[in-house]
Formats: sequence, C-alpha cells, structure tokens
Amino acid sequence: MPAIKIDQDKIKEAVQTIVDLGGDGIRNCVQCGACSAVCPGVKAGFPVLCRLLIRKILNGQLEETIEEVSTWGCQSCNRCTEVCPQGVRPQEVVFAYRRYQAGELAMSASAFGPQMSLYETGHAVTTDATAANREKVGLNPVPPTALQNKAAQKEIQTLLDESPMADLGIF
Amino acid sequence: MHKYGLYLGCNIPFKAPDIEQSMRKVFPALGIEPVDLQGATCCPAWGTAPSFDLDTWLAISSRNIILGEDKGVDVMTGCNSCFGVLSEAKHMMDHKPGKKDTVNKRLASIGRTYTGTSKVYHVAHVLHDIIGTEAIASHVKYSLKGLKIAVQPGCHILWPTDVMEVKEENPFFPTQLVELCQALGAEVVDYSRLSDCCGMGAMRSTDQEKSFELLKRKFDSIKEEADPDMIVTTCSSCYLQMDGAQKTFRERGLIDYEIPVFYYTQLLALAMGFDPKEVAAISKTSRDAIIAEICNDNRKVQEEVQ
Ligand code: SF4
Ligand code: SF4
Repeated sequence: MPAIKIDQDKIKEAVQTIVDLGGDGIRNCVQCGACSAVCPGVKAGFPVLCRLLIRKILNGQLEETIEEVSTWGCQSCNRCTEVCPQGVRPQEVVFAYRRYQAGELAMSASAFGPQMSLYETGHAVTTDATAANREKVGLNPVPPTALQNKAAQKEIQTLLDESPMADLGIF
Repeated sequence: MHKYGLYLGCNIPFKAPDIEQSMRKVFPALGIEPVDLQGATCCPAWGTAPSFDLDTWLAISSRNIILGEDKGVDVMTGCNSCFGVLSEAKHMMDHKPGKKDTVNKRLASIGRTYTGTSKVYHVAHVLHDIIGTEAIASHVKYSLKGLKIAVQPGCHILWPTDVMEVKEENPFFPTQLVELCQALGAEVVDYSRLSDCCGMGAMRSTDQEKSFELLKRKFDSIKEEADPDMIVTTCSSCYLQMDGAQKTFRERGLIDYEIPVFYYTQLLALAMGFDPKEVAAISKTSRDAIIAEICNDNRKVQEEVQ
C-alpha cells in the first residue's frame, strides 16, 4: 500500500466539511477503537465505519472514500456514541459523511424508494395491504397518520421542497 | 385518565396493525388513554431526511412532536427507530445552540412552531416506569407461568442514553423488558447475544446477506442456549425481521425450527384476555399453537380483569 501523503489543506477541508454537516465531535477522536469493537456494522462486514471512517476523514481522504457503502449499512444504533470515551458521537460523523456522499450523489440505490414515498405519502414505508391488514384486526382501514391526509402530506412536501434535498432529484 | 399521544410511525399501522390494536386495548385497561396524533408522518426514518440534511430531519421530527405539544400530551411511540430518531431530534432542538430558531424558521412555512414542551417516551417506558410491573401483574387473566421467553430489546431504545427522557440503568444489560415479561408470570431465559442487533433497517436494505448473517448468529444463540417458547420484543422493526426472516431461513434450509415472535403489548393483551384475532393476527411464523397454549382455561388466574 502506498504511504498516505499528508496534505494539511486537504485535511482541514475534509474535517470542516464533516463538521459543517453535523459531525462536530470528530476532532476529539483518539483512535482508540472502542466504537468499532461494539459496531454491528463492522461485525457484519462493513469495514469503513466508526474508527476507520474517522481515520480516513482525518487523513483528508474524502473523495477517495466516496463510493464506500459501509456508511449506508450503519444501523444508527449508537452503540458507538454510548461507548466513545471522547464524546465524538461517531454515529453523527457517519451520518455527516453520508450527507457528504449524498451531496455528491454517491448513495446506496436503496436510498431512493423511501425518499419518494416520504414525499408522496408522508411515510418512508407503506404497503398496498394497509387497509386489508387493518380491517382484519378490527381497526379503521384509514390510519390516523399522514397516509391519506392531504393537508399533512402538503406540509411535508412544503418542508422538503424548501430543503436542500430538493436539489438532489430524489423525489 | 392520563393521556399520551400515540405516535404510530410506519411499520405498525401499515404492516402490523395487530400491534396497534393491542396497544389500543391494553392502555385504557391499564389507566392510560392513547390519543391519536392526526396527520403524523414518518419520524423521518434514518435512511431518509437524516441521511441528506440535518435541518430537514429536525423540521420533520419536530412537526411530529408538535402534534403532541398542540394536544398538551407527551408522545409515546411503539417503534424503536422512531423513538431513537425523535429522541435525538428533540435533544438537538433543546440543547444545540441556535438549532430551535433555525428549524423554527423552516417550520414557519407550514405555520408551526416547536416549543419543546412534550417529552418522547417509548411504549415500553410507559409500561415499565409509569404504569409499573405490579399494576401489570394485577391485570393478568391468563398466567404465562412455565413458559420461557427470550427477549429482544432492540437497539434504538437502548443507545445513546444521554438523549432519552427515560432509560435503562445499564443499556448493555437491559432489564426493563425482562421485568415486563416476568410480570406476566413467564420465565425469561438468558442468551449470550442478547444485545446483538437483529440486522433490520439500513443494513438489510444495503446488503441483505450481511444482515441475515448477523441475525442467523443471534437466532443460533437463542435456540442453542435458551430454546425458548417465544421471542418477545418492543421494537416493530425487530419484530418484522425476526418473524419474517425465519420463514426465509427455513426455505433456505438454514434453520429447522420455528420460534414464535410477539411484540410485548400483543403478549400482554393475550394475557389480559383480549381476542387473538384482533391483537395477534398477522405473522409469518405461526403463533397459533402458543396462542392456544396461553389462552387456555388452565392458565386462568382470575375471571375478569378489563
Ligand atoms: S471510540 Fe471515540 S475516540 Fe475511540 S476511535 Fe471511536 S470515535 Fe475515536
Ligand atoms: S451507529 Fe452505526 S457506526 Fe455506530 S455502532 Fe451503530 S452501526 Fe456502528
């Protein structure tokens, strides 16, 4: 493996990008690895989560890691946040990195469906069997949620239309 | 009667409405009135807005919490993921300097304002900390004595504790769900992978095989070390994964057993004598035999409890 070239400007820019996207704690990381030890993502075989993802960002390797799918396998379980002795909140760093990837349109294909659905119905997950399922157990076929509530859906669409997410073409 | 805003999320009202029905049955009988939060949306799930823009996430989560604030009630959710997302969002809104103002500017476009007056609870917390295990035990009509339960607390109800209004003393050795199951008379059995993730969620949609491998290890630990009569969870995602994947695993010849899975309020509703056709009617792994075993006259400890 070729040695990593240290480029201070690149490192500064990478760290600032992640801080701006919500990963403020990254500067406190001491690379102890406590987070990776409890991470189900790492356990399942997504290698670039927690400590290693943070190392890559601290090395200024933002673009080099752009296609990495590990971040999209993160369960947001926050075991890492609970055990980190430095208050890094690694899950927030992972999500900041996801936002950076999404901004470059380097996202998991599985990310599209739920955004469309959230925009159209107010829910990330829906099913055609909703009414039948509900009637079967004695409930009103229409749930009291946004699913068939036009006013609620309009509110969500307004929030999404006015957000930076609108520029990504994901709904 | 004390009121809580019942925040349903997506999975429960659409895919597992028998869980919703079980909540609508047990809470009033236990002295809590669940109030509908009309027009509630997705929390929004971690894979949606939180993956793309922090403030959009906070605006959508805040809107859901505002539905509780408008009714003057705290919010209780039955889904661990919703609990995690809403708790984190609320924590940021209440504690990150300037966040509330920034997000309220976005919310102004839909005529709403977040104030921070409603707390976020999980159904399990309301059962354990507000109602209490003694009151639950006194409402049991059919005792679960002699039945063995493996519990699955799930991830997002446990970590990170610093954003939660109600929490476990030690999230790596959770005891609340254990005590809730014991209140029904059941024995809760130990297994080494108790705090392991079930693999549902982002992991499953990104790489199903990795997710299944993780779950298979968990199932093996449950079966070999504990051999329970059922698995009980308070997470709707864990419920769907652990119930549904067993079918796939059997079809692939990976397992040769069937362990019925229940959401806790379903089991509680059965123990309280509610109709299984309403409170535990939809599952991929059959629950008929264990339901017949529970709703059996031999198990009756009292006639009327509701
Ligand atoms: S636990 Fe915290 S300090 Fe240790 S490697 Fe992980 S993020 Fe860094
Ligand atoms: S939140 Fe993500 S990175 Fe942290 S432990 Fe869980 S799966 Fe790993």
